[in-house]
Parts: sequence; structure tokens; C-alpha cells
Amino acid sequence: MPRVVRKLRNWTARILDLPQDVVLDLPRVTMIGGIQLTVENHRGVLHFAPTSLRLAMEKGELEVTGHELVIRNIGTDDVLVEGEITGVLIKR
Amino acid sequence: MKPIGGGKAASDEQLADKLHAERMSLMKGNWLQYIRGIVTVKLIAGDADVFLRDAVAELELWDIGYAPGGKLVFRVTVPDFFRMRPALRRAGARIRIMDRSGLPFQMARLSRRKTFAAGMLGFIVSLYLLSTLVWDVQVEGTERIPADQILQAARAEGIYPYQWSFRLKDSSELASLLAQRIPGISWVGIDKQGTKVTITVVESAKPEQLPPNTPRDLIAKTDAVVSRIVAEGGKPKVIRNERVRKGDVLISGIVGEGDRTQAVVAKGEVLGIVWHEYRIVSPMTTRVKGYTGLEQERSYLLLGNRALQIGGYGQPEYDQFEVMPDTRRLTIGGWTLPFGIYKELEKEVQAEDHKLTEAEAKEAGLRQARAEVLRKSGMGAVIKAEKLLHEQTENGKVILNVLFEVEQSIAVERPIVNAVPSVPAPQAGTEGNDGR
Repeated sequence: MPRVVRKLRNWTARILDLPQDVVLDLPRVTMIGGIQLTVENHRGVLHFAPTSLRLAMEKGELEVTGHELVIRNIGTDDVLVEGEITGVLIKR
Repeated sequence: MKPIGGGKAASDEQLADKLHAERMSLMKGNWLQYIRGIVTVKLIAGDADVFLRDAVAELELWDIGYAPGGKLVFRVTVPDFFRMRPALRRAGARIRIMDRSGLPFQMARLSRRKTFAAGMLGFIVSLYLLSTLVWDVQVEGTERIPADQILQAARAEGIYPYQWSFRLKDSSELASLLAQRIPGISWVGIDKQGTKVTITVVESAKPEQLPPNTPRDLIAKTDAVVSRIVAEGGKPKVIRNERVRKGDVLISGIVGEGDRTQAVVAKGEVLGIVWHEYRIVSPMTTRVKGYTGLEQERSYLLLGNRALQIGGYGQPEYDQFEVMPDTRRLTIGGWTLPFGIYKELEKEVQAEDHKLTEAEAKEAGLRQARAEVLRKSGMGAVIKAEKLLHEQTENGKVILNVLFEVEQSIAVERPIVNAVPSVPAPQAGTEGNDGR
């Protein structure tokens, strides 16, 4: 996303009081207990192993760590992960 | 992976795979995926990450996880399974199919089991066919016309058990056809509900059938003087003011003369004056029962055929009383329950001797006698006159002898036995019957 566009979007979000994820394509992570996790606005799977799932983001990446992780469902921009989730890590 | 023995390790891995597959198979996918067919695939060689990156962008994968052996396992629909090949090649992957489920595979399995499939189809077809049969025909609303006759007519129109429903005509058309077929019917309704046909019939109202009339005479019931004679059928044999004895022919059922003699039903009205003599004994004292106005109530609880007194204890006893029972049982719908309330109303009674004068006693006796005469003489009797023949007072009683002159119907029917026309002289014939 060009710099000008991002600045404009940022400004719009602030002025119109919109959630940042809607405007800026930021990841939105919803976790239910330690057993289910939904990530929206991801940009693809970088690595998947039983203990970690690394997802590409618009900027940087997001790593879900845990045990016996299973991708229950995956679409072009959302993932539903189940398993024993121990951590969510964001790298920029 | 346990590095024990090659064969053993392989079987362990297979078992673990199987367990894993079972755990995963609790929910394999939604119904859309079920219709398209679900394949559970295991990646046995190649770069899983590369494959996932490509496949997620192009295909629909779900339940992606790792088998205990460390191999990637996922599910994919059948159409996507065939579109997976380029992604596999790019990742240098090889796959093994673990499990197949969903509609296409079940259909394939069914087509292998031909007899089973045929049985299933046969069941559905036979269920459908049996439900299109008419199983039961019922007739409602018949009183005079036997139901069998209506069923027979219905059978002629094609309504009978084990008939195909689709061979029946339209029910309103059938109803009109059936109404034409059965005489004495004003309306027919045919109601088909599922496999049951109900024929509702409304019978046309017919005049009541009179008992069959055989030729007969009207004869006198008692000795009397004829006061009125009207013949509707037959030939009158007596005239007004004529004295008749019991058994005399009043209206003859034999009409015509000579060869044209014919026996008919004698009909008509014959009134006569009849005398009744009565001896009346009327007491001069009467006992009159009256309520004193005192009353008391007792209530009981009914349980089955036992009664438990629940109220009205310690009441005084009356010398004379009448008891009026009132039972109320609990009912639900049409069911009577074995519980209820039973109430006894006890009313005190006092008997009084009422003294009558001679005239009052006489009048009471006569009133009673008149009522009795009228009751005995049948419908339409009228007391024309009454004569007091004798009157006497004795031991507190009035004794009366009264003669009542009552105008009443004196005709009774008597069938003509030796039916004419063979009787040459009708007069002689009837007199012969009377001979007594």
C-alpha cells in the first residue's frame, strides 16, 4: 500500500471512528480460551508444523504456537486454528 | 517413531494413522462438501509448506493437521483433489489417500452392492405403491339402506379395497355417479384421506311405512248407542242412535254386490254412548302430609361404594321425615370417577288428619271416578252425563253409586278371514263371522 494511501486511510479511520482492522487490512485475531483461534486478514501460510503456524501479514508475520495444532478451516483471508494454543507472536 | 523393528514400526504407524483418522472423522465437513465427496489425503513426501502455500490460495482445504508420524494430513473435496496436481508437482509431493467419504463414494459403494441398492429402491417404490392403494372403504350415515348395498354400488364405480387411487375418478364426479346408482339417497359425499375412502350418505326422507292393511271390518267394542258414524272406507252398517251390542259390525269391509263383491279395509270413526256404573267409597277423613319447614343436611364423601360422613353430625332426630338424597360424582369428560359428594337433605314431616264434610267427600270421590272413567275410555272420550243412583254415609265413609254416560270411540278392527269374492252374499258372510 503506498504511503499516501495509508496515511489517508489512517486519517479516515480516525475521523470516522472506524476500527483499524477494517480500514488498514490489519490482522484480527480472535481467541477462544486456549483451544480455538481465528485470524482474519492473513496473507498466506508461511510454515505449518504441529507446534507452530506462521502466517504472512500485510506487514510482517504472525506466529501461533501450541501443541497438536490443526487448521480446521482456511480461506483466502481467514484461518481457524484448533489445538492447545500457547502463544501468539507478532513479528514486524 | 520408535526404531524397534521395521515391520512393527510400520504397523504402529498404521494404527496411529487410523486413530488419527477416526478422531478427525467426527466432523468431516459440511453438507456441501459431503455432496461433492470428501477425500482425506496424507502427504507422504515433499515440502508441506510449499504445498500449503499454493494449495490454500487455489483450493479449499480443511482439517489440516499432522499425523502422529509427522506427515501432513488434510481433507479436500473430490473436484479440488483433481485440481491439486500442479501444486503437488511444484512441491515435489507425493500423496496417499487415507479415507474417502461423501455422496459420490457412497453411491459408488451402493452400485457395487446391486442387490442392496435394488432392495432400497424396491422398498421406496413399494411404499409408494402401497400408499397409492385404497385400503379401506367406509360408509357413514346409513340407517335404512344397508351399507353393503352402498359398498356394492361403490364397487361398481370402482371404489373398493386394493384399488389404485389414481384409477379413481374425481371425488365429486364419483359422488354424483353414486347418488344416481343408489335409490333413496339425497346426497353422497366421498372423502378420500390417504388410503381410506369414506362415503357419507344422506338418505332421503321417506314417509313412514304403515303396517300392511288386510281387509277388515270395524266392530263394536262394547254395548253402546251410536252417536256418530263416519265411514272413510267400507260400508256403514249402523246408523246414528242405533243400539249396538258388543261385536256387532259397525262398518263392513265387504263392499259391492254379487260378482263385484270386494273385501276392503274398513276405516272410519264411530262414536257411541257407553254406560259405566261405578261404586265409589270415599273416606271422610284424609291424611295429609306436610313439611314442617325444619330440615337438616348431612354430607358424605364418596370413595368407591363407601361413604364417609363429613358434615352434619349431632343433629336432632325427627319423628317423621323424608330424605332427599343428592349424589354428585366427579366426572372428567365422559368418565365417572369413584369420588364424589353425597348429600342427604332430611325434612321433617307431619301428618295431619283432615276432616271432610259429606259434600266434600262426595265431590272428591266423584272427581276420582271421573278421572278413572276417562282414563279407561281411551282418547277423546267425553262424559256426557252422570247420574247419582245411590248415596249412603257409613262408618265415616261416603258410598256412592254413579252411572256415567260417556261418549267414546267404540270401533275396533277385526280382519276378514274368509276373504270374499267367493262369498256370494256379503251380508251373510259378515253375520256368519259375528255369530256368537
